[in-house]
Amino acid sequence: MTNERVIHGVVGSVGFAVGRAVRTFDPLFVSFNLKLRPDRVRKEIDRFRQSVEKSREQLKRMQAELRRASGRESSFLIDAHLLVLEDRLFVDRIIEKIETDSINSEWAIQLVSDDLFQAYDRLDDEYLRERRGDLEDIVRRLLHNLRSTPLPPFKKLPYDAILIGKIIPPSTLFELRAQRVVGLATETGSPLSHTAIMARSLEIPAVMGVAALPEVSSGDLLIVDGDRGVVICSPSEETQAEYKSRDRDGRRIKKLAGASASAPSVTEDGASVSLGANINFSEEVRSAIACGCESIGLYRTEFDFFREGRQPDEESLVADYSLVLKTAKGAPVTFRTIDVGIDQKSWDGINPNLGVRGLRFCLENTHVFKKQLRSLYRASVNGRMRILLPFVSTVDDLDAACEIIMDVRRELDLKRQRYDPRVPVGVMIETPAAAQTCDLMASRVDFFCLGTNDLIQYYLVIDRSDQSVVHLYNPFHPAILRCLYQVYALLGPTGKSVTVCGEMAADPPSAAVLLGLGFTSLSVNLGAYARIKRMIRSVSMKQLRELAGEILKMQKPKEVEDKVRATVYRS
Amino acid sequence: MIMREREVVIGHRLGLHARAAAKLVELSSKFQASIVLFRADPTNPVEADARSILSILLLSAGYGSKVGVRASGVDEEQAVESICEYLAG
Repeated sequence: MTNERVIHGVVGSVGFAVGRAVRTFDPLFVSFNLKLRPDRVRKEIDRFRQSVEKSREQLKRMQAELRRASGRESSFLIDAHLLVLEDRLFVDRIIEKIETDSINSEWAIQLVSDDLFQAYDRLDDEYLRERRGDLEDIVRRLLHNLRSTPLPPFKKLPYDAILIGKIIPPSTLFELRAQRVVGLATETGSPLSHTAIMARSLEIPAVMGVAALPEVSSGDLLIVDGDRGVVICSPSEETQAEYKSRDRDGRRIKKLAGASASAPSVTEDGASVSLGANINFSEEVRSAIACGCESIGLYRTEFDFFREGRQPDEESLVADYSLVLKTAKGAPVTFRTIDVGIDQKSWDGINPNLGVRGLRFCLENTHVFKKQLRSLYRASVNGRMRILLPFVSTVDDLDAACEIIMDVRRELDLKRQRYDPRVPVGVMIETPAAAQTCDLMASRVDFFCLGTNDLIQYYLVIDRSDQSVVHLYNPFHPAILRCLYQVYALLGPTGKSVTVCGEMAADPPSAAVLLGLGFTSLSVNLGAYARIKRMIRSVSMKQLRELAGEILKMQKPKEVEDKVRATVYRS
Repeated sequence: MIMREREVVIGHRLGLHARAAAKLVELSSKFQASIVLFRADPTNPVEADARSILSILLLSAGYGSKVGVRASGVDEEQAVESICEYLAG
């Protein structure tokens, strides 16, 4: 018998990968929780103290380097970290936990820091609340220093690696993409989290919400199966052989799909569909165009905007955006202005989905918004740009945003800066409010995009990051079908174009529903491009319209889904 | 038990943020007396050990807020004196 174990999660990104687990330095990861024999407690406390001492030495060294490089100003930041290591509220309580509960240091650190994090999250003062970052840093350092065998540096991974962790930030995944990272699995998160979106963009198989992941250690052999949404630990020889043969089949299919990617996206009965690509990073433009994409239907600019962990300056933004347009070689690129507050702020306990995100953030931080708009307009002369405003919920917000856009243009006029005055401006329909009132917004803008991920989340009251409800997320819910039908009916008479760019467009059955409902412009992540193109070329528009008429009368999501699948996969 | 106590209004523009808190820990460590900071708000009383940076930060004392300083030990008088002077900015 082997020790093969299958742990379940949800699909984050399709495909599968075989590799060895590598834990990321996630702020709060815990490698293992252990009850200790009473006679081991002394030793464990020594082990903890050694890690504190090691951390202190590292920080002192860092402080000395910083002082040499930039003077006293910034080296002060390290003082706060050092003081935490001397803090009785922290260190003494951890030692006490190890002693009284007879547990290992990692576990004790987690228990004590969780308490403190909660206390931080309750503070009213946003600045002080942000200070939990310092504590997270210390916790990460201590946990790292507790390892007997340090992780191999990512740059020299000796084997195909599968990243595992509680959370793997999208930026980490992106930075490691060029290394031998073949798959990823996270304890938390859902298919709609930015990490999953990123994994799909990079075509890295991913399984999210794998609750039992803490049992896996670095170095364990794993299979991440993003098609089934499972992680297989210590797979048997047989299982490995099975996946090897699937790998060969998969490559053959991919080759065929690659060939059809350059074929026009026209249905069997001659209706043409516009198919664009969604991207998160400027580097992806090149491969999108190479794949034969006719447009970049959605460029989520916040990833690049905050890539360095801070705001970029205007000149570098202008250069980046110009390069994107030039690389697109005349294909239109829809730049969505920064939508912050989705995954980035989920630490602080409040639900960012219902708070200050998207356009709301931009209207509260007009200097950031204006900087991005100025950069966009200045870059606009280099190609075909469209500007898309995210998370619009009232006509007032839209008017305010349009006013800011006019301000920026007047400013550029005064400075005699060149820009394209005809850049179309559009609204992202992703809140129920926008879906209900898009016709009122139509006279103010040039085009619309439909973000189905958020729309479904808000319509069905399902938090995208909450594991306990994510299975209820269903694009075939009659409420969603009616909503889409209504949006199409409201916008039809206005003559404004609508592009659907959510995940619904990337899954063949739900994409077929969109076509049937009348949406003939879709934009999907690169990983889904070939399969959606294949779906479009295999269906008849006439049949899909009939299908749409039928499913609009149905009562249950399951009925709808079965009917749609039977039609799309009829052969 | 003998101890000193005084109230002071925080004069640091950012409140007791990381830098000010770190300085406070450094200052408090110079005294032998045990020193406690507390928020006088009766509905939400919070106490902080003046030598624990985490507890000071969690006191969340913003600019202009009123904080009590209490010390007990041989040098309690000087301790309260110099800490209040520092907090007043």
